[in-house]
Amino acid sequence: MTAEKNRKTNSKSLRKIVFVGIAVALIFVLVGAFVLSYSMETLDKQADKLGAKEKPVWNAPFADYNVSWLENAWGSLIAGAIGVTLLFVISYGVASLLKRKNRHG
Amino acid sequence: MHIPDGYLTLPVIAVTFAVTILFWAISFKKVKLDEKQVPIMGLLTALFFAAMMMNYPIVGGTTAHLLGGASLGLILGPFAGTISITIILVLQALLFGDGGLTTLGANVLNMGVIAVFVPCALFLILNKVLKADGRKLYAIIFVSAFVGDVLAAIAAGTELGLSTPTFQYGLSVAVPAMAINHSFIGVGEGIVTMILVGTLLKVRPDVLSKSPILSRLSIFQSSKKTRKCGVRLK
Repeated sequence: MTAEKNRKTNSKSLRKIVFVGIAVALIFVLVGAFVLSYSMETLDKQADKLGAKEKPVWNAPFADYNVSWLENAWGSLIAGAIGVTLLFVISYGVASLLKRKNRHG
Repeated sequence: MHIPDGYLTLPVIAVTFAVTILFWAISFKKVKLDEKQVPIMGLLTALFFAAMMMNYPIVGGTTAHLLGGASLGLILGPFAGTISITIILVLQALLFGDGGLTTLGANVLNMGVIAVFVPCALFLILNKVLKADGRKLYAIIFVSAFVGDVLAAIAAGTELGLSTPTFQYGLSVAVPAMAINHSFIGVGEGIVTMILVGTLLKVRPDVLSKSPILSRLSIFQSSKKTRKCGVRLK
C-alpha cells in the first residue's frame, strides 16, 4: 500500500507532463514571435550566392508563420499557437493509430 | 534548414524523394509504440514545431533553429522520430510556407532521417563501447545530437551544391558554410537533448524504457535481468 503510494507520488502523471510541455511550447512560440523572429538561414544565403531562387508552388495560409490580417508579432503568436495545437492533435492521433497497428499485427 | 521550392534541380529532388520514401516505408512498417509513448509523441512533436519557430542568430548575420531529431529519435525510437518530424515538415510546408512541397523529400531526408537515425546509431555504438552511465551518458547524448545536426546540415548543403549548374563550385561553397554555421546550433541541440532525456529519466524512466534506443542503457538492462530472474525463481 505505502509502496504503491510512493510510486504514485514519485512519478509525475503523463497528463501533467503533457500540460507542462505544451505550456513550454507556447512560451517558445511567444519568444519565437516577439524576440527570435528574424530569420536569415545560411541555406538561403548560400542559395542566393549560387544563383538559386525561391519559386513557391503553393500558397500557404499562414505564410511566414503569420496571419494575413495582422502581419505582426501578434499574428505570428496566433499562427504559432494554431500550429502547436494542430501538431499535438495530429501527432497524438497518428501515434494512437500506430499503437493500435502493432497490437493487431 | 528548410529548403524552399525552386532551390533544387530535378535529379536531386528525385533521388532525395526516393531515399525518403524508402525510410517512410521502413518507419511505418517497423514502428512500435507503447501506450505511454503516445502522449509523449504528441507533446514532443508540438514542442519541436514550436522550438523551430525560434531563430537564433549565429555567425555572419545568419540564423538557425533546433531540429529535434535527436530528442525524438532517442526518446521514441528512430522510426517514430522520422514519422514525427515528417508530420512537422508536412504541416510547415502546407500551412506555414516553411520548406517547399517539391523539396519535401530532401527536407525529410535531412531533418527527419539523417538528424534522427544518425544520433540513434551513434548513441547505440558509443553506449556499447563506453557502457555509459552518469556523466558519460550525458556526454554521449550530447555528441550524438551534435553530430546528427551537423550531418543534416552537410546533407542540405550537398543537395543545394549539387543543384547549381557549376556544381564543383557549388559544393565547395555550400557544404562548409552549412556545416560550420550549423555546428553552433548542434551545441544547442546537444544541450536540449540532454535536458529532455535527463528530465524524463528523473520523472518517468518507464517511458524511456520503452524506447528501442534508450532501453539499451545499463540501468534498464539490469532491471530487465532481475525481472527475468524473478520469473525464473517463481
